[in-house]
Amino acid sequence: MSKPSSKPLTENEKIRYHRQMIFPGWGEKTQEKLKKSRVFVAGAGGLGSPVSLYLAVAGTGVIRICDFGEPELSNLNRQILHDDSRIGKNKALSAKETIERINPDVKVEPLKDKITRESVSFLVGEVDLIIDCLDNFDTRHILNRYAVQNSIPMIHAGVYGMQGQLTFIKTPETPCLWCINAGSPPPVVFPIVGATAGVMGCVQALEAIKYLSGIGSNLLGTLLIWDGTSMEFNHLPQKKTPDCPVCGDAL
Amino acid sequence: MTLNTKELIRYQRQMLINNWGEGGQEKLRSSTVFIAGAGGLGSPVAIYLTAAGIGQIRICDFGKPELSNLNRQILHAESDIEKNKALSARETLFNINPHVNVVPLTVKLTENTVDELVGESDIILDCLDNFDTRHILNQYAVQKKLPMVHAGIHGLSGQITFIHSPETPCLHCIFPGSTPNQIFPVAGVTPGVIGVLEALEAIKWILGIGVNLKGKLLTWDGELMEFCKIEIKKDPNCPVCG
Repeated sequence: MSKPSSKPLTENEKIRYHRQMIFPGWGEKTQEKLKKSRVFVAGAGGLGSPVSLYLAVAGTGVIRICDFGEPELSNLNRQILHDDSRIGKNKALSAKETIERINPDVKVEPLKDKITRESVSFLVGEVDLIIDCLDNFDTRHILNRYAVQNSIPMIHAGVYGMQGQLTFIKTPETPCLWCINAGSPPPVVFPIVGATAGVMGCVQALEAIKYLSGIGSNLLGTLLIWDGTSMEFNHLPQKKTPDCPVCGDAL
Repeated sequence: MTLNTKELIRYQRQMLINNWGEGGQEKLRSSTVFIAGAGGLGSPVAIYLTAAGIGQIRICDFGKPELSNLNRQILHAESDIEKNKALSARETLFNINPHVNVVPLTVKLTENTVDELVGESDIILDCLDNFDTRHILNQYAVQKKLPMVHAGIHGLSGQITFIHSPETPCLHCIFPGSTPNQIFPVAGVTPGVIGVLEALEAIKWILGIGVNLKGKLLTWDGELMEFCKIEIKKDPNCPVCG
């Protein structure tokens, strides 16, 4: 497992990140915090693409990106980490190639295994944050349980058509994913355009950067619901389920 | 021409969206967009319009990528420094979707060049970083009755509106002046969020799906993750569209 660098910023990095470091409250210290951070990106698809690309250009130290699938032609309307030449390769490996080209200072750890109850601990490893860029709730609930048990914050997002939802989970402070979305709808081939995943993925990346850098406030206990057809954004307060089988008090 | 088998597979998932279908995809393929600027906003705009299968993308930038651009301008990498940004954009976009015809325009956008640069575009995407050039583009869009998606960013905040004069206010009605050019703070995700929204507004307009941000300015504060829609009105004495 790569260790994030604890070295101060290089001259190159000071130039590369200059425009974000002049944001009030950011500066070199915050940039160094980002450089020391490790994040787990679950899924290198429609959401995982903008999430990992924008975390990379921001200078996140280590990105562990996990996907057992291979890019298919029908993915390429939205999965901008991959292109026609990557069809048949593993998505995590393809992601590493794209991300390291966009910022060679970032360490990318590609993980080619499927997330299961057995593999989740090994795959996530020691990270500061989990970003849920998955496309099914069965796997999301495995990740959620792991996040709750190990007190790792997790940014959940989901997309459908031109709609999306997003929340920042940090138990015991907030509800967990099971409190918000108990159960799993059957996996189906659903409509999706790239820009939908693009918007939600960029918002996820920003929530991650804010958390890692301590700037601004996160969507804690709030579900952001977005309808792209009308460009309506709504905040829905979320409550903990007292007897939640994942994060409930009885456990 | 109907879509070929490869295109039918590539765009399958978006064609499942209500009122999109093969007809919508063909509309996208026969459309031309003008992207003013290949920087922080232009990057996600161009990338997501390319992935969606727009026919022709005219992307205009006279600058070259610098190291300090790379925290946000995901069209470019360190190896592209010293190339022209529009040319660098074409390389990146060709890899993302070789079906899209990308026309790189390396000339500065001025009152004299705007007509030739915009050409036969159906819609204009304002991905600029200064109001002087925006007002040139706005004047042209109003004269030609072309729709223009305006966006601007600063720090972790942004704004976006859909301008289509005479139906909506023009950019001059909303922001009559020009702010002095200066180096302002910006993180990559800020133009990321706003740029992808711009791309979606353009796609919706071309397809006739949903409702565009006409007469409404969407403002976004990323620090608090708050979105606000502000009603905007035409200036009856506007020197551009009045």
